[in-house]
Amino acid sequence: MRNTWKAAKLDLALVRPYLKVICLTMLLPIAFAAVNRSLFTGVSFAMCFVAMTTGYPFAVAEKNHMERLYGILPVKKRDLVLGRYLFVLMLGLLALAVSLLTQPLVLGAMGESVAGGDVLGAAVGGLFLFSLYTVFQLPGYYKFGAIQGRMFLYLPVAGFLVTLFLLPRLPASAMAAVTGSSPVLLGVLALALVVVMYGVSIWCSVRTMEHKQL
Amino acid sequence: MKLILSSVSGVPIYEQIKQQVKAAILSGELGEGEALPSLRTLAKDLKISVLTVTRAYTELEQEGFVKNVQGRGCFVLGRGSQRMREHLLYEAETHLAEGIQAAKLAKLSQKELHRLLDILWEATTDDELFGSN
Amino acid sequence: MTNYLEVTELSKSFAQFHLHDISFTLPKGYIMGLIGPNGSGKTTTIQLILNMLARSSGEVKILGLDNLAQEQQAKAAVGVVFDSNYFSDDWSAAQVERSVSVFYPNWDGARFAQWLERFRIAPDKRVGELSKGMQMKLMLACAFSYDAKLLILDEPTSGLDPVSREELLEILSEYIEDGEHSVLFSTHITADLERTADYITYLRHGELFYSGGKDEFVDLFRLVKGSREELSQQVKEKALGVRTFPTGFEALVKTEDLPAFPGLCVEPASIDEIVVFTSKEGGGDHA
Repeated sequence: MRNTWKAAKLDLALVRPYLKVICLTMLLPIAFAAVNRSLFTGVSFAMCFVAMTTGYPFAVAEKNHMERLYGILPVKKRDLVLGRYLFVLMLGLLALAVSLLTQPLVLGAMGESVAGGDVLGAAVGGLFLFSLYTVFQLPGYYKFGAIQGRMFLYLPVAGFLVTLFLLPRLPASAMAAVTGSSPVLLGVLALALVVVMYGVSIWCSVRTMEHKQL
Repeated sequence: MKLILSSVSGVPIYEQIKQQVKAAILSGELGEGEALPSLRTLAKDLKISVLTVTRAYTELEQEGFVKNVQGRGCFVLGRGSQRMREHLLYEAETHLAEGIQAAKLAKLSQKELHRLLDILWEATTDDELFGSN
Repeated sequence: MTNYLEVTELSKSFAQFHLHDISFTLPKGYIMGLIGPNGSGKTTTIQLILNMLARSSGEVKILGLDNLAQEQQAKAAVGVVFDSNYFSDDWSAAQVERSVSVFYPNWDGARFAQWLERFRIAPDKRVGELSKGMQMKLMLACAFSYDAKLLILDEPTSGLDPVSREELLEILSEYIEDGEHSVLFSTHITADLERTADYITYLRHGELFYSGGKDEFVDLFRLVKGSREELSQQVKEKALGVRTFPTGFEALVKTEDLPAFPGLCVEPASIDEIVVFTSKEGGGDHA
């Protein structure tokens, strides 16, 4: 666990030059929330944006040929992969926290009422979306690298567009029925799915990393 | 003691070290009981391999010039050490044998060779006398 | 004698290249040169030692530790210098320390500061702004700061000016002086090794040609020279490599075969000459 933490800190040091950009992507969604007057839209935007920054540590490492540093550090490759997942997850959670703290305030100031349940729902939904993007992105970056695998950068955009266009087309009554009937069960189910998806994703990434020439 | 190594002389480095240490011992520059420079420090200073110096020191020990005391270093043995004497005797024999070979080729008689040896002996003894003044 | 590096029957198969059954040992307190022409497997060997590449078979022990089962402890005792720097160009020397030091239990910040001072690297200088020689020194400073017992250098001198090369050799001689540190040094500039290396491991076409003492290695071969007329069939057969030119020939032969060539001019061969003559395709049997 300590090695995972060290590896995550190394990733933070890597993306240091991009911290401003990352901050911007975390604050920008407030505007989207305000324009659309919807917390869920704002959070979706936020998750999409922040997921687009998960390639930074890969890109910086690749640009500087740092795979050789990873090769000589006294940690297992698995620890390096886990560290990267930890870093990415913390990035996502931070973006989610920023969104959930700022957006209800802005929306409230604009006269929209945001219930506690909405915030909780957006939290679970946001986490689910972020996981959905990153569980594919990270193994993709590990497999193809940040440059060859740059299509994974746009995966969140695609995912976002799908959510944007698909959600309204779903019969509202069905949605309401599902969320209304057992919101707790749905939340728990989503979280369980997140755990399973990350498990599989990490397994794939570790395997790729262990067979890769550093 | 000074050590000057040449990389173009064609003589192996360990041999150059040996010859110069021997010369220093025989000339009395290195006295009995004096320590040779530490093996690893010498290697570092001359920027040569540790094993090269090890070989030079080991052969000097085998020839009776120095004694290696484990963990303390290499010390010069007395000029009268039995091994060194044996070694010098051996050197004298081999060189004389070479001289005899050459003399035979030049068709010198044994007597003539003896006389030559006497003359050379006198000459080198005089040299040494002058040298020490 | 303790071995700091033991490589046993190490093999790796690629589509185009095979590293085959490489075995050698580097005892504590010595410098070993890993030589061979480009593409002979030097870098692959180093990557396998560091588990940067998964091996096909064989075994590697670093300070007696298995490089896979005890990877973490083993690597904590190894310092590595590659031909180019592996830190982020955006980091300052101080940021390099902050990023890397946490991984090494033995990291000594004071020592790192001393080395930066000796190498004249300002702590706030960005890695990307350092010269190639300085970047190499920064990698060395890191290795020395956690007292790496084994230093592995992969082509560290390629692209370095003669002054920096000489400086590196001096640093390495100093590093092994106490007898507690060893160096594995891969290079195709063998002049670097001619004097300081204690051992030589020579790879040729992915196979081990020689591993052992450097002086013995150089002693195994002689360069014979003569006129074109003196280039007899016997010389051609016994030679490990021959180079002819309008006014004569040069051939590398085994020292033990010398009596077979009376009357020819004989010279000691440099490591470079040995590699050049023996690495030509079809250049004779193994030593």
